[in-house]
Amino acid sequence: MRALIVDDEPPARRELRRLLNEFAWVEIVGEGGNVDQAEEMIGSLAPELLFLDIQMPGGTGFDLLSRLEDLPQVIFTTAYDEHAVRAFEVDALDYLLKPIDPKRLAEALGRAKSAQTARMPQPGAVLEQIFVRDGDRCWFVPLREVRLLTSEGNYIRLSWGKEKPMLGRALAALERRLDPNRFFRANRQQIINLDFIENVELGVNGRLHAQLRDGPEVEISRRQARLFKVKMSI
Amino acid sequence: MNDAERPLSPPQSQLAYWIFQLTGWGVYSLSRFVGGVSVMNLPWAHFGLQLLCVDALGFGLSHLLRGFVRRHQWRALPIRKLIWPVIAASFVCGIPLGILTQFTDVALLQDPNEFLEGMSSAMRFQLALPVAIALEIVNWSFVFLIWLMIYFTAIAVREHRSAQLIQSEMARALHLAELQLLKTQLNPHFLFNALNTVRSLIADNPARAQNAVTHLANTLRYTLSSRQDELVTLSQEMDIVADYLDLESMRFEDRLRIDKQVPADAAGVRIPVMLLQTLVENAIKHGIAELPGGGQLRISATVQHDMLNLEVENPRPSAPIRVTHEGVGLRNARDRLRLLFGERASLDLDLSQPTVATARLRVPLQA
Repeated sequence: MRALIVDDEPPARRELRRLLNEFAWVEIVGEGGNVDQAEEMIGSLAPELLFLDIQMPGGTGFDLLSRLEDLPQVIFTTAYDEHAVRAFEVDALDYLLKPIDPKRLAEALGRAKSAQTARMPQPGAVLEQIFVRDGDRCWFVPLREVRLLTSEGNYIRLSWGKEKPMLGRALAALERRLDPNRFFRANRQQIINLDFIENVELGVNGRLHAQLRDGPEVEISRRQARLFKVKMSI
Repeated sequence: MNDAERPLSPPQSQLAYWIFQLTGWGVYSLSRFVGGVSVMNLPWAHFGLQLLCVDALGFGLSHLLRGFVRRHQWRALPIRKLIWPVIAASFVCGIPLGILTQFTDVALLQDPNEFLEGMSSAMRFQLALPVAIALEIVNWSFVFLIWLMIYFTAIAVREHRSAQLIQSEMARALHLAELQLLKTQLNPHFLFNALNTVRSLIADNPARAQNAVTHLANTLRYTLSSRQDELVTLSQEMDIVADYLDLESMRFEDRLRIDKQVPADAAGVRIPVMLLQTLVENAIKHGIAELPGGGQLRISATVQHDMLNLEVENPRPSAPIRVTHEGVGLRNARDRLRLLFGERASLDLDLSQPTVATARLRVPLQA
């Protein structure tokens, strides 16, 4: 498993590297000292696992994640910010407290290994989950649970469960990475999750109205309605 | 005296009562005696004897009245509920004295008309006995009313004063507790990062690891024992800052560069314990640690016009990533300065330059 260490303190990076020597199946592909450097290394080295410090110069570990499109698995390493990590609403990640207890490291790596066999992210492939940061709150959002994506300028409003977090990305850019069998462009502003459609009614001028489970009614434009009918009749 | 009263009636308040009581009645009797003898030409022996009898009764009655008031806890009553009992008590005490006055007047002065002859015609009229007694009773009732008013005023003043005393004692205790709390805030982030550095150094460089443990021990000891002293000399504080900076240098390596300028005349100046340390910690946390390339931390001291000027300067990110609200550390430091020096000391954080932060501390040489 290809791992990248992101921490601004050289002794902390050396210590983690030394601890990881015990695990032959973990290959350390690089070390980053700040968010910019780490973002670049993730782009070029495509690690599968990220050891990520939270407090770093030029931005936090959360800032780094919100900039990434393809998310590696993440294990946070922190001296005292566990409350920040615990603030996550999804427990699909792990954290280690520095100084790192080798036993806890082994457990975290074990979880990462079993998660790795379950899903192998391929660059450019369909996105399974995204990291969303809205104000002080952060989530790993599984995209299949998102029922509606609405464009608001250069941002996307996600309708996900009871939450409506904002994602700092353009809808057109994200659309290319969405699963075409699940997500459908309803109109200029909105993309709907087909799994959430309860019923569809005919509107005027060949438009359609799709009622989403737990969500609003979305209008499907005339142009997209034709595509929709073709897609659904198949 | 019952138990409830005991804490508010110390021996000195008993003494104060007797002084007030004797002085009050003494002055009242004497002024009437002098007035009666010199203005109204009353025979001094007879008049003096009459006053002695009447005022002894008044003195005794007022003392009994005090016992009554205390037994019935009138002190605890609000003023509104006190009005009628006070008037009634004054009247009840006024009755025997009014009667006694009237009859001693008649009994002791065989021929009152003899004395009345020399007086102005306005005073020279005869009153029916019941009317005269009633007037004397009203007169004495007023005397007791005034006595009670003085008594309750004295009690109110005393209680107010002891309440103030308690309040200032409490303020002092609070002040001390506040100082303690503001002073010792061990930064857990620093502690755990330092421990992680030590763990790393044990394999990399055992000699440095040993040094690191010593520095860490010094820092912890200073932080924990700073509960005892409010003020330390600048050189004592600089020693601990040096220990702290050595540890941080191990963490940040070449990202942290240090420039210290403390002249000999500043070294002995007494400053609040852990205050410079707080400023240095902030300089690293919000400055050096936020910059990928790190930077130089400058600590300089000068003595001018009986004031010590301390500056801690650090580079900072030009656009703060997080909104940096005035930190708890800085606010606590200001509160401590105010508690220790009042308005004579000051602490300012200068952020006028876009990439530099300068903390300026001014402390008077004489605390």
